[in-house]
Amino acid sequence: MISDNIDSKLTVTMNGIVKRFPGVVANDGVNFEARAGEVHALLGENGAGKSTLSNVLTGLYRPDEGTVSLNDEVVHFDSPRIALERGIGMVHQHFRLVNSFTVAENIILGEQSSSLFMDTASAVERISALATQYGIAVDPSARIWQLSVGEQQRVEILKALYHGAKVLILDEPTAVLTPQEADALFTVLRSMVAEGRTVIFISHKLDEVMAVADRVTVLRAGKTVSTIECATTSTRELARLMVGRDVVFDRVIRANHAKPDNIVLQVSNIDATDDRGRQALKSISLTIGESEIVAIAGVAGNGQRELAEVISGMRPATRGTIAVNNEVVPNSRVRKAMTAGISHVPEDRLHTGLVADHSIEDNLILKSYRGAPISKMSVLRRRIIRAQAKETIEKYDVKTPDTITPIRLLSGGNVQKVLLAREFDSLPSVMVVSSPTRGLDVGAIENVRKRLVDAADSGVGVLLISEDLEEIFALADRILVMYEGSIVGNIPAAEANRESIGLLMGGGSLSAENN
Amino acid sequence: MKKFIKIATVVTAAALIFAACGSDSDSATDTTMAEATDTTMAEATSEAFTFTNFTPFEGGTVVNCAPADGGPIKAAWVYVGPINDGGWTQTHDAGRNYVQEQLGDKVITTYKENVPEGPQVEIVIDDLVKDGNTIIFGTSFGFQDAFIASAEKYPNVCFEFATGYTQKNNVSQFYGASEDTKYLSGIAAGAEAPEGAEIGVVAPFAIPEVIRGINGFVLGVQKVNPTATVKVVWTNTWFDPAIERKAAESLISAGVKAIASFQDSPATGEAAKVKGIGWVGYDSDQSVAFKDIWLTASTYDWGPYELAKIQAVIDGTWISGDYYGNLSDNFISIANYGSKVTQETKDLIASERERLTQAPSAEFTGPITAQDGTVKIAEGALPTYGELMSMDYQIKGITTDLPQK
Amino acid sequence: MQSPLRLERRLTQPKWLNWGVPLLSLLGALILGGIVLFATGKNPISVYARIVERGFASTDAFSRTLISATPFAFTGLAASVAFRMGLINIGGEGQLYLGTIGAAFAGIAFQDQPTAVIIATMIIFGMLFGGAWAAIVGILKAKFSTNEIITSLMLNYVAAIFLDYLIFNSSSYWRDPKSYGFPTGKRLTKNAYWNDISIGSIEIPFGFVVAVVAAVIVWFLYNRTRFGYEVGVIASSPNAARYAGIRARWKIITVMALSGALAGLGGASDVGDFRHVLDAKGVQISGYGYTGIVVAALARLNPLSAIFVAVFLGGLSNAGYALQGPDFPSGLVGTLQGLILFTAVAGEILTRYRIKRQNTIADGVIV
Repeated sequence: MISDNIDSKLTVTMNGIVKRFPGVVANDGVNFEARAGEVHALLGENGAGKSTLSNVLTGLYRPDEGTVSLNDEVVHFDSPRIALERGIGMVHQHFRLVNSFTVAENIILGEQSSSLFMDTASAVERISALATQYGIAVDPSARIWQLSVGEQQRVEILKALYHGAKVLILDEPTAVLTPQEADALFTVLRSMVAEGRTVIFISHKLDEVMAVADRVTVLRAGKTVSTIECATTSTRELARLMVGRDVVFDRVIRANHAKPDNIVLQVSNIDATDDRGRQALKSISLTIGESEIVAIAGVAGNGQRELAEVISGMRPATRGTIAVNNEVVPNSRVRKAMTAGISHVPEDRLHTGLVADHSIEDNLILKSYRGAPISKMSVLRRRIIRAQAKETIEKYDVKTPDTITPIRLLSGGNVQKVLLAREFDSLPSVMVVSSPTRGLDVGAIENVRKRLVDAADSGVGVLLISEDLEEIFALADRILVMYEGSIVGNIPAAEANRESIGLLMGGGSLSAENN
Repeated sequence: MKKFIKIATVVTAAALIFAACGSDSDSATDTTMAEATDTTMAEATSEAFTFTNFTPFEGGTVVNCAPADGGPIKAAWVYVGPINDGGWTQTHDAGRNYVQEQLGDKVITTYKENVPEGPQVEIVIDDLVKDGNTIIFGTSFGFQDAFIASAEKYPNVCFEFATGYTQKNNVSQFYGASEDTKYLSGIAAGAEAPEGAEIGVVAPFAIPEVIRGINGFVLGVQKVNPTATVKVVWTNTWFDPAIERKAAESLISAGVKAIASFQDSPATGEAAKVKGIGWVGYDSDQSVAFKDIWLTASTYDWGPYELAKIQAVIDGTWISGDYYGNLSDNFISIANYGSKVTQETKDLIASERERLTQAPSAEFTGPITAQDGTVKIAEGALPTYGELMSMDYQIKGITTDLPQK
Repeated sequence: MQSPLRLERRLTQPKWLNWGVPLLSLLGALILGGIVLFATGKNPISVYARIVERGFASTDAFSRTLISATPFAFTGLAASVAFRMGLINIGGEGQLYLGTIGAAFAGIAFQDQPTAVIIATMIIFGMLFGGAWAAIVGILKAKFSTNEIITSLMLNYVAAIFLDYLIFNSSSYWRDPKSYGFPTGKRLTKNAYWNDISIGSIEIPFGFVVAVVAAVIVWFLYNRTRFGYEVGVIASSPNAARYAGIRARWKIITVMALSGALAGLGGASDVGDFRHVLDAKGVQISGYGYTGIVVAALARLNPLSAIFVAVFLGGLSNAGYALQGPDFPSGLVGTLQGLILFTAVAGEILTRYRIKRQNTIADGVIV
């Protein structure tokens, strides 16, 4: 239950935590301490052991060695539920929501209640109050499957707040928020620590850590590298601590310049509805030229997914046309869109772009299995499929023992390599790419961005849909901003700045800069 | 294989299966068996095989199916249902137990239960023959094809088939005049129901054997309650407690004042118990389990005939033929009465029983009028055996139609 | 409180599990069964010897096992085909009934034709009837998103009533107007019988050979063709199917029809191989369709394994009848059969999961 006053303040101490998985030591003697009243960032690359450490803290894993203490009392949590009873709540990177339930039902799920039925009405009221208090807009009666990834994460945050966590662990919470929303969240977090709560903020984004955290503990390869006061450090130093070398993301240097006048994709006056049948796209028009990278910035849930799906033929347009190389593509026909030269890298790599349970080689033919040389007279030619898969794995440097390994066993970076390999090898004219680096570590991000730039250099028009402004600024030639199903800004990257884009993403207007 | 399905779906509930199979079976038929013993033993030892109501097939020859080594006779029974079905199969197994008790170590009996009609029957018979069984009893009409095929395959094995019709040198057919006892049970139902009320019947298949029994039952009803009418619901199954119960419930909700079932399970009784309606059962005595609603039932005593035929194997006189038992040899009988049956009714049934013992099928003395008003058996006449066997019409007083016409 | 043991999904399945686990399962079943037998005063060794002898060991025992295995093979294949696409077709039972109706029709109608023609038309009509019956379920699911479990199950009852109607309550084409006393179907003439194929002294029902051929075809279809590939994508990830432009609707109808056609083929074999008549009651008592679900589950939806599982279950079923008797209640037989199935299922779980002693789950990013 939420309470305005935190009567007991919790200091979390983790000492010498060791957690082994078969073949991997995920945490190797990690020391960590978060005090009441501070935002403590846990910084590290993917695989550094941040998620494992937080899972140990919430009782999902039991450490092989080491102790967890609350206010100097050694505790053993058998489950996240018990941890939550002791005041430790977590917002996971992978949401734990029941898709067919409403927001309110999900939030009160697991709540101890004396009555048999869930008292949804009063819960909705309290959720709305919480949402208003922290400025998190979400419809308590919406069902989870109807929500975007970003909206779902807001539900997770609300859920932890609702259950009155004194120590709140957030696993990369800002990945789907606009800078403004991230700022709003930071305000929430600040007010929470002012109340005496503890916030553990997991991230690999340096700016963000510097913006919100009081102290930061850097993990690398399962070990604690350092714990420092943010006030006494810099992003450059944190980056070095995190990756073990100097890294700077700068604007990528392009070999070929964009030719916006050689239009490869023309989207004209597109309307479309979302899964709930509500209008998601309102008269969208845009063009992409040869070798041009056009970014769509926006908060998740403002129609980006629907736009990507309409362009790739997965979702019918209720109005408007799409043309590739000046030829109109039939509405809502995925295969026609594919043959017209549209390639699509969806945000949900594991379950939309790829079939997680299927082998690498089966996934590589997902778009080419219908014709020669992959199949002949409806029969798949396994030998050719395997030979091509081996070539692709080598060419794109996918780390895997063989071509029949299921996708789900690959690391995030390698999953994305397989997906991009297939899409690049289809020799598209246009690529629609959604959140291509979300959840990847620094090395993988560099690789993916390089591949996208290479594609653009070879003449492909790229539509980059991302919520990561850093990425957009690093790659895009031109930035479009989507808000509530419309394009509210069209700004050459060279003229854009974070603040103006962020303002547009949040529904503001730039009277001076509108064109 | 039905078992398999249950196991697969409830695989963790092995204990339940244990419990279900361990439940006590009713041994209520013992009384009727004791009565019949003497006549049987006397006749079984004569030179050529004779038995009351048994007629050898024309041109048939004696089949020697005794084991060559002179050891005990191995006899087997193949059942379509479980031995504790509270009906048909249970009474057959009572017959097997009777044979075993009477012959002691001269015979080794066995049985196979839950054998589905179809290819499994021949497989089971193959197994039984391999195990040395030389006389095999079949108790379900649907086994007939498999029994005939097996009889051709094993000419030195004697087969005894209940309720069938195909004649072979090593296949006997045995059954009995249950229409006579159904008539007696009809008297109990007619007396139980108010004057002119509707009475329900849950019946398996609209075939002569069953129609004949229902007609007998209705004649019994009309004996004491001339204006009563009878409604029949056909289940198209011999044994399916769920379907039987639904059929009974549909009759009860339609307002019948007494109900009879000619099915192999007591499911109709379960339905009748809920509403406290008098129930005439079939082929097993349920007077204890359903004492408040139980009227009586027509029952069979398979043991004496089966004993005689196995004795014939021992004597080397076994011959195939047609056995149609009746009240005179106690093949058919009437079960114990429930508390609802008055002394007056009991007395009437006793006197009618005596009449039918002297003159089997006498309840069908004409005039017998079919539903459509045509006179099927003329005034004062008795039906011939052929007329009885092919009876495919319902008599006046039954208000429901036969399913096909 | 939580148990200190928990199941954890295996990331990979070591090769040895494929043969090691079934062996261990069987061993486990034998030991558990031995305890039960010993407790009920039986000699486990002689009971097991009899199961092997009457189920599998001799050529004629094996011939009889193949008779019992044939319908299981068809319904097992039918269930596997549908389950592979995530369609829970519980309707194999009713589809098999329809197959018997179709095949009996062909067998009666074409009785003057040469045997090869009769058998071919029986197969075609059996598959058509069964397939069409199942396609109803597919169409309802594809067009109206009805739950196929419910519709396929309900259609089993409809099929049973229809079957009863044809034989018991009407003078239909199938019913023998001369049937004495008890209504039966028209018997096929001898030249319509599917004759066994003998290999040495083993008699193989023709239908069993058809089932093996069907299993190979299904295996090829699902593992080597575009059709099978598309079915695999739809089953594993509907979103990915949409993404790749694979239309699920037609596949749902086609796969259901294929599943029903295989069950219908089982019905054709039932008429042609064994009963030679439309046996309305007998085929319902047998419950082949429901057993097919067990076959498919034990075979892990692999059509080739389904043949072996069907033979195994056929032998187990026959051996079960052989064991039964006054001193061996059918409940004990059922318990033994249940133990064997139970350990098989448990073993199957162990190939996919492993038991962990700690309260951990492998959820975090490891690789």
